Amino acid sequence: MAGDTVRNRRKALGNGAVAAAGLLIVMFAVYASHQPTALTLFGVGNLLNNTIVLALAATGLTFAILCGEFDLSGPGVIAIANVVVATTSAGSLGAAGSFGLVLLIGLVVGGLNGILVAYLGLQSLAVTLGSLIACQGVALLILPAPGGQVVDSIAYGITGNIMSVPVPALLLALTIVFWLLLRQSRMGLAIYAVGTDQAAAGLSGLNIRTTKLFAFVLAGLFYAIAGFVFSAEIGSGDPRISDSFLLFMFAAVAIGGTSLFGGRGGVLGTLAGAGILTVLQKMLFALGVADFYTNIFNGIIMILAILFGQASAYLARRPERRGT
Amino acid sequence: MEGETPKVLDFRSVSKRYGVTIALHDVSFELHAGEVCGLLGENGAGKSTLVKILSGVVVPDSGSIELRGAPFKPQGIVDARAAGIATAFQELSLIPTLSVAANLFLPRPALNRFGLVSASGIEREAAAILESYGVTDIAPGRLIEELPLGLRQKVEIVRALWHSPSVLVLDEATAALSDREWLFGLADAVRRDGTSVLYISHKLDEIRRLCQRCVILRNGRKVLESDVASMSDEAIFSSMAGRSPAEASKKRPSAVRQRTEPVLQVAGISGPGVDHVSFSLAAGEILGVAGLEGHGQSSLFKALVGLSILTEGTVSAGGKTVSVRSPRIARSLGMVLVPEERKSEGLFHDLTTQANISLPVINRASRFNLVNRSSERRLVEKVTPAVNLPERFLPLNIDALSGGNQQKAVLARALMTGAKCLLLFDPTRGVDVGAKRNIYEMMRSFVGDGGSILFYSTELDELVQLCDRCLVLYRNSIAGELDRDQLSQDRILSLASGYRNGAHQAAVEEA
Repeated sequence: MAGDTVRNRRKALGNGAVAAAGLLIVMFAVYASHQPTALTLFGVGNLLNNTIVLALAATGLTFAILCGEFDLSGPGVIAIANVVVATTSAGSLGAAGSFGLVLLIGLVVGGLNGILVAYLGLQSLAVTLGSLIACQGVALLILPAPGGQVVDSIAYGITGNIMSVPVPALLLALTIVFWLLLRQSRMGLAIYAVGTDQAAAGLSGLNIRTTKLFAFVLAGLFYAIAGFVFSAEIGSGDPRISDSFLLFMFAAVAIGGTSLFGGRGGVLGTLAGAGILTVLQKMLFALGVADFYTNIFNGIIMILAILFGQASAYLARRPERRGT
Repeated sequence: MEGETPKVLDFRSVSKRYGVTIALHDVSFELHAGEVCGLLGENGAGKSTLVKILSGVVVPDSGSIELRGAPFKPQGIVDARAAGIATAFQELSLIPTLSVAANLFLPRPALNRFGLVSASGIEREAAAILESYGVTDIAPGRLIEELPLGLRQKVEIVRALWHSPSVLVLDEATAALSDREWLFGLADAVRRDGTSVLYISHKLDEIRRLCQRCVILRNGRKVLESDVASMSDEAIFSSMAGRSPAEASKKRPSAVRQRTEPVLQVAGISGPGVDHVSFSLAAGEILGVAGLEGHGQSSLFKALVGLSILTEGTVSAGGKTVSVRSPRIARSLGMVLVPEERKSEGLFHDLTTQANISLPVINRASRFNLVNRSSERRLVEKVTPAVNLPERFLPLNIDALSGGNQQKAVLARALMTGAKCLLLFDPTRGVDVGAKRNIYEMMRSFVGDGGSILFYSTELDELVQLCDRCLVLYRNSIAGELDRDQLSQDRILSLASGYRNGAHQAAVEEA
């Protein structure tokens, strides 16, 4: 019976994630065979540097999607975070102060989204589209043109190593640990429950409003951290640079096997999804494919990954169907 | 008698209205410690509103409720549960993607010393709770979505029970349950411990078996409160419906058309959950299918309309061998399935009743791809009299209708397609007496006109009354076939529980 339960849990939470992880390994192997430096510490650190921003942002989005809501505000929060770090970290607030301010911004935007959706019952797609546009406007207001400067302590700190471990790897590990804890918590169960069947969750005694608010705030905080790390990587501010992130965030979530209807999936899959998208870019670059073809491949990979996940879910269920 | 036991719940002139609809009007009743009180009424009579008020989901407009002498004004379902009222809901309130254990303990599963929910910890706890209520066939680590409906209902009931409430509300708790004796035993046990049970059911035999008293609602008002023993079935039916159902229970002559090509001929089909099933269905025939929960009835119906793939055997319709790979192909052959889960598989929520019915033939009401509402209405009005669905419901959102009327709309949609062969899967589940009678009428006139029906029901008396023949399923294959003159509930039950000869009363552990 114990084996039975373990198998079932894997099947529920891991299906898409396992498929995505498998695809990631295959793609990384192909990439590494063309680019031998990929397997060195430098190569891996470089890959992680390229992945971490998308991984953090898509993780935030995963929380909102798991509880059955959409959240488009990510790139807006990242844009504000970026221009705030570029304008304040080298000056008045310093590194720590700017980080605090960035977190506060994520909290406020996520909180507003959450209140409008959960307490006023507005549609999340519309609300967060509004907050995306508003945030992008605020970013332009703070820094109308690319410029500003990210203080060195942030720029080198985040992209460097701590005890010879790349900082992005630490961030990734922290995200995974956080997710594993959240998934095992009451709030984690509540997020899955609300995303699966809101009416039943209500009749089960769960507080739907606080659960959704929590998910949106958590999403906002992850976008903010993503924006902070992103600023460290580009070293300056650009209010427009995050505009293209949105589709990649959704792609990472979907490739990772999280259902866009909510209630199924998880962050591990999303992280693999972000990895796949990054390795794909590097692989195409290594193969010398021209830049303007990459999006075509991104789209194809996304559809293939979802097909792959569906097929593995089907195969996993088949023997059991026959048995009963 | 009533003076001996203390009053637990006092429901005093409670009213609730939704817009212009009066859901409950000035309803009062009492529950005493250690009694099971039946609550009867057609769907739409106000039972579900009453249940929601007791569960803390809905706040009444006026009136007061006292629980053990203290005013009862719950802020929500958790509050009501803490005050001592727990409910097993008809529309199960379980989360499909979570485990049985997690569902049992929502919203606050126990935490381990790290402040986390330990899956193995709550599963151990859940196993102990399930076992203490005599449930040994459900592994607590299984996801709810992997369980058949009957087992889900067991989980729902245990979830209400283990809080040891002083008032237990069971709302249509046997609708999908095959093992009714299990529930009856539990109800007797909690009653002995002084819990009072409010038992909501459409099934009179259950009310007679369990309840001392019953309260009957009609149109939101209490019309009767009486000792069950002193009431005849007719008296109960007529106070529920305001009329007598006796004529409905008379057997009619069979409408089977002999010596015609079978409408549907199934030879040795196997597939997921279907094991070498063969039968033939004649024009004008109602062929019953009986079986305990989880013995392949649902798989059989799904396989026939192409929702699962057959690995063996042939299906012929009208004499020709066909390959039914999708419900659409089934429809083109004149076969339409009315599915089990009305809420999730049968209805298009947020659409009007009219749109729900007209969907399969919407092209006929459209010109240049634009739907003409009045010609749509004319199409729909051709079939609504057959199921006795009042016209005033057509423009309403389908969600505003009672369960019985929703089911009539689903049946009307099936008729709309011009089907020759209806596959009805438990069409009267959770449907009130009046609507049931309408559905029986519809079935009889459908076969009278030469149609044929494959009919599964959890209610054996329906099968006995309506069917020309009845197939009994056991472990995914046909255990036996009963002709019209052999049909009896006992025979069905003994075949369905695996006894070849109907000598035993079924004591069933199988699910």
